[in-house]
Amino acid sequence: MRSQTQTRIYYAILWLIAILFFLPIFWIILAAFKTDADILAVPPKLIFTPTLEQINQTLFGRGEGISNTIPYLVNSLILSIGSVTLAIIVSFLAAYAFSRYKPKATNFLMFLMLSTRMVPASATIVSIFQMYNAFDIGLRGIGLVGPQDTFFRGFPGMLFLYTMFSIPFSLWILKGFIDGVSQRYDETAFVNGASRFHVLFRVVLPQVRPGLIAAFIFNLIFVWNEFLFNFILGTTKSNTQMIPYALAVGLVDAGGNINWGYIASLSMLYVLLPMIMIFFFQKYLLVGMTFGTVRGEV
Amino acid sequence: MQVNMDSATVMERNERAVSLPRRSPVRAFEESKAFPAALLTPILLFFVLLNVIPTMWLIGFSFYRYNLQSPDVPRPACVGGPCPILFALPTPIQVSLTQNLQIIIPAALPVDNYVKIYNDSDIWGAASRTFTFVAVGVTIQVILGVLLGFLFWGSAKMPGRRLALTLLFTPMVVTPVASALFWRLIYEPTFGVLNFLITSFGGQKIDFLTSNQWAFPAVLFVDIWMWTPFMILMTLAALASVPKAELEAAEVDRMSWYKRLWYVILPHGKFILMLGILLRTIDAFKTTDLVFLMTNGGPGNITDLIGLRLYRFAFASLNIGFSSALAVVLLIIAIAFTSIYLWVLNARRTSEA
Repeated sequence: MRSQTQTRIYYAILWLIAILFFLPIFWIILAAFKTDADILAVPPKLIFTPTLEQINQTLFGRGEGISNTIPYLVNSLILSIGSVTLAIIVSFLAAYAFSRYKPKATNFLMFLMLSTRMVPASATIVSIFQMYNAFDIGLRGIGLVGPQDTFFRGFPGMLFLYTMFSIPFSLWILKGFIDGVSQRYDETAFVNGASRFHVLFRVVLPQVRPGLIAAFIFNLIFVWNEFLFNFILGTTKSNTQMIPYALAVGLVDAGGNINWGYIASLSMLYVLLPMIMIFFFQKYLLVGMTFGTVRGEV
Repeated sequence: MQVNMDSATVMERNERAVSLPRRSPVRAFEESKAFPAALLTPILLFFVLLNVIPTMWLIGFSFYRYNLQSPDVPRPACVGGPCPILFALPTPIQVSLTQNLQIIIPAALPVDNYVKIYNDSDIWGAASRTFTFVAVGVTIQVILGVLLGFLFWGSAKMPGRRLALTLLFTPMVVTPVASALFWRLIYEPTFGVLNFLITSFGGQKIDFLTSNQWAFPAVLFVDIWMWTPFMILMTLAALASVPKAELEAAEVDRMSWYKRLWYVILPHGKFILMLGILLRTIDAFKTTDLVFLMTNGGPGNITDLIGLRLYRFAFASLNIGFSSALAVVLLIIAIAFTSIYLWVLNARRTSEA
């Protein structure tokens, strides 16, 4: 048995390691509360008078070039929550069908779905970009959208893209969980005269709640963090540009200087959501980071 | 009479209760073969629209000399060529497409672009850098992650464990864009904190991200910082999958630590660990955002990874035909990785069953 002192030292070491990994983020959080002069100070300042000026300017505009970022935050929220919700509904229905009816192509389709998430984003974006532009031209050609409007290069296209982005993971995670719900539940319900819809939403759904939560949280984080698709396909007009876009574009200000205050404050605000998520939903972290292929708690 | 009437209604009601649902169209639909198909329809719609069709376009484009930057070459319509989706579209759309996009002049040989990829030294350079990035990065992450994972094994009763783990795992859920940018602040030569530390210990200032010698290790270091926590997570999961009873038996038998590792922990934990390594390999192979924002491939092309290279071919040189061909190659690599991943996953299932 270890002595109490040894245990304390052991815990202290673990805490130290955790803090060490967090240190770079802590540094950026500090910078978010500094003035521009403090950020650029040599030697770097650890002690300073905190100010909300950076965050204020980032949120509500700082003049020249960079407008306020609240619209981007709103876009991020709407797109991520909207697409993930849609993806989970679609995947839940499909996961039930795959799990209970076991159509012949189940394994092959599940494999294809997973492989779509393993492809580098830049490989997918080449054809999506071409296709979306062409579809929009086509839609304008037959008069379904106005001559200046966009459908695929607008909000719906972006929403669909992120839905597809979230589907493979939701499908894998939910199929795993539905496989874990014994078919006896279904059968008992049928014997008692329940309909399939009743089984689907009242019998199976409540039992896979952890899967739904994990799928929701982690897809939210993934969409929230996505950059390349957004950078290429997002437009100001259609309100589809998200915070990573604002970060990348706002890096250099009109004078050609790097806007460290902007980067620091916006990163700080943006990191909050994933951090809060993994604090409260830590037990889903494993299933979340492995696309639902490994279950268990850490 | 009254009694009879009543019993009749009751019977009638019972009959209705049993037979009505069966007759209702909703029930009939639920029991038909169309029902699972209907459940699968939405996902298949998404899959076809956003995966099958784009992949067909990609394969189609990859056989064409299609460059948005040279608009004056003659562009016959996409007829008889490998862009099958155009045939499926209604004629007015097809016409408007070919007029507006002015698709596409076929390459001299169907495999022209692939031959070019094979002969392109930039691509081979980027591929070998990506290989180094993946091999070195993942190896270090695995070693560090496994060591730290073992260290965190006994932390179940640690005070404030949830907060400590949140701090530890945050690097992997931060958007790569943000981490790329704030690491630039840390690496910054004049006022960056890292250079301050180096000079205060008597070293020379290093301009990490523009130095030929340091740029690649600096980017690699950020990747290691981001993803070592993931390997810690996977190690903890692997250790949690070892049955407690077997560990206790090993304790009772006073097995040496390496025997415990080899005969007790590894047989159970190896699958999850392998899945972790594979996922990391796939993810490291995909790395684009990080280098795009940290160095944009520079200085020269020292940090130019394959994902970024493809992005540049497509959106800086606008060479759609060529970059589609490269995308097809990456697609095949990704599918190969996925099959290995699923193979390990199945091996785990069969060994558990």
